[in-house]
Amino acid sequence: MSPHRHRDFKLDIWGVALVLPLLLVPLFTTSPLLNSLTYQAAIGVSAAMAVYVMLRMGLLSFTVPAFMAFGGYAAAMLAKSGVTTNLLALMAVSFIVPALVAIPLGTLVLRLKGVYFIFITFIFNEILQLILFETPTLTGGSDGISGVPPATLFGIDLGKPALLVVVTVVVCIVATLITLAVTQRWRAEFTSIEENETLAESLGVAVWKYRTIGFVASAGVSGLAGFSLVNMLSTAHPSSFASWSVNSYIAYAFVGGRGTMLGIAVGSLLLIVMTNVFSAYAHLSAGLYGILLLAVMMAAPSGLVGGVVQLVDKFRSRSRPAAAAPVQEKQA
Amino acid sequence: MSAASLRVEAAAKQFGGLKVFEGISFEVPAGGIMGVIGPNGAGKTTLINVMAGMLAPSSGRILLGDRDITGMPFHLVSRLGVARSFQQTNTFRSVSVEENLFRAQRFGAAQEGPDLGIHQMLEEFGLAGHLDEPSEKLPYGLQKMLGLIMVLAARPKFLLLDEPAAGLERRERILVDRFVEHARKTIGCGVLVVEHDMELVKRLCPHILVLEAGRLLAEGAPAEVLSRRDVIDAYLGASDD
Repeated sequence: MSPHRHRDFKLDIWGVALVLPLLLVPLFTTSPLLNSLTYQAAIGVSAAMAVYVMLRMGLLSFTVPAFMAFGGYAAAMLAKSGVTTNLLALMAVSFIVPALVAIPLGTLVLRLKGVYFIFITFIFNEILQLILFETPTLTGGSDGISGVPPATLFGIDLGKPALLVVVTVVVCIVATLITLAVTQRWRAEFTSIEENETLAESLGVAVWKYRTIGFVASAGVSGLAGFSLVNMLSTAHPSSFASWSVNSYIAYAFVGGRGTMLGIAVGSLLLIVMTNVFSAYAHLSAGLYGILLLAVMMAAPSGLVGGVVQLVDKFRSRSRPAAAAPVQEKQA
Repeated sequence: MSAASLRVEAAAKQFGGLKVFEGISFEVPAGGIMGVIGPNGAGKTTLINVMAGMLAPSSGRILLGDRDITGMPFHLVSRLGVARSFQQTNTFRSVSVEENLFRAQRFGAAQEGPDLGIHQMLEEFGLAGHLDEPSEKLPYGLQKMLGLIMVLAARPKFLLLDEPAAGLERRERILVDRFVEHARKTIGCGVLVVEHDMELVKRLCPHILVLEAGRLLAEGAPAEVLSRRDVIDAYLGASDD
């Protein structure tokens, strides 16, 4: 493994590791604020991971809320209808349903790039919102599906507040591990498509195939985030999956650093904590949030983790001029 | 016909009303070298684009052995063994030389086969000391040579080289000769070279085609073809005298 790939792999593993301590929060505290922050963080990280998978291929996808809705509503319908409340079954359904929807959708939208791709994926959210509101017999319409029973596992009711948080974090860990598996397994293909699609294709990469793999995985991970949200709120409601919510998930990715999973985790945790801090300032909160985004993006355009990685690279390249000198001389 | 030759049959390409070339037929034998020359705008790069699957021909066929690869997707043509290089430097710029080579090998037509002698080439071309450097930090000539080695690392049956010497200093151009010799020696691939450097073409190619305004103007051994009046006129412009 080259040093570059080795470093990226380590940063991705650190991204997973950063999520793990969230499991401990409900075990050590009953503070509503800390538990609320924990489940917000877990859901935010899961959704941002779905954005990350597509960003690895240079595609900014706005479909995350729509696929969250597919996952969340599918699990809600299954649990509410009494078919099953088994946690593993609900997680599987919430992953598979949006992943299946992503296959035909992907054949249509993955031919597009840049602003066209962004636009069509955003429109998809709006269409789904309309469908959710206009199909009350299936989705509950504007009332949504309320009173969704909490998940169970081996006969244990996971509906207690602390256990709800644990479930949310576990789902987040699973979503993060799936993201790790997909982006590491096809890292070379994904990043090559992002950086130089023509060259990748000329060397034999079937771009449509890897885009589809990424899109399907991103949809599944979104679905898991949607399930977490529904399980936490006991309700599947269209407003939980509003189109604008994707802006937050994208901001998490860009603020933390879109190149590694550590960046995604750092960005999500930071912005979720800061959102709660700013909420104490009521009418100023949106402005403060905006200033924070501006400040970070101006100071570190490649995100916080990306900025640190660049600084380390710069420091290392300065610390080895003696080794590089003979090579440069030879070139000259 | 050799079973593994690369044939172009009556190929034509036009964009709307603009005809780039038409009626082009030739065959690159397995393991053979063919040069394609012609003035700017003759359709040489478009011909490579069509042969490599980047563009579908408007009419005609491209055959790899007995297999019709006309209009197949770019990546599939590459995986079947017809790989191309680019006029400009074309690498994964942000990643290291080593990572570039890893990717080319991973994506390539065949994962196993005879030793490609990549390390020998890296040494010879002066890239061995830069393995950990991002390719964008390399001098132009090294980026260009890295691009060529990457195409070879994909183990093609045919190499389509689009102006491999373009932008290289005169002293660096001999590296293109060495690259082609190396590729033929290690994997026995056929090579089609589009090039403006006549000295390089004469050194490398026992057989050349001359394209002019989308037509096949002449074909044959370089000494014979390059002494033809119509070829000289095509390059230098016809004189009234």
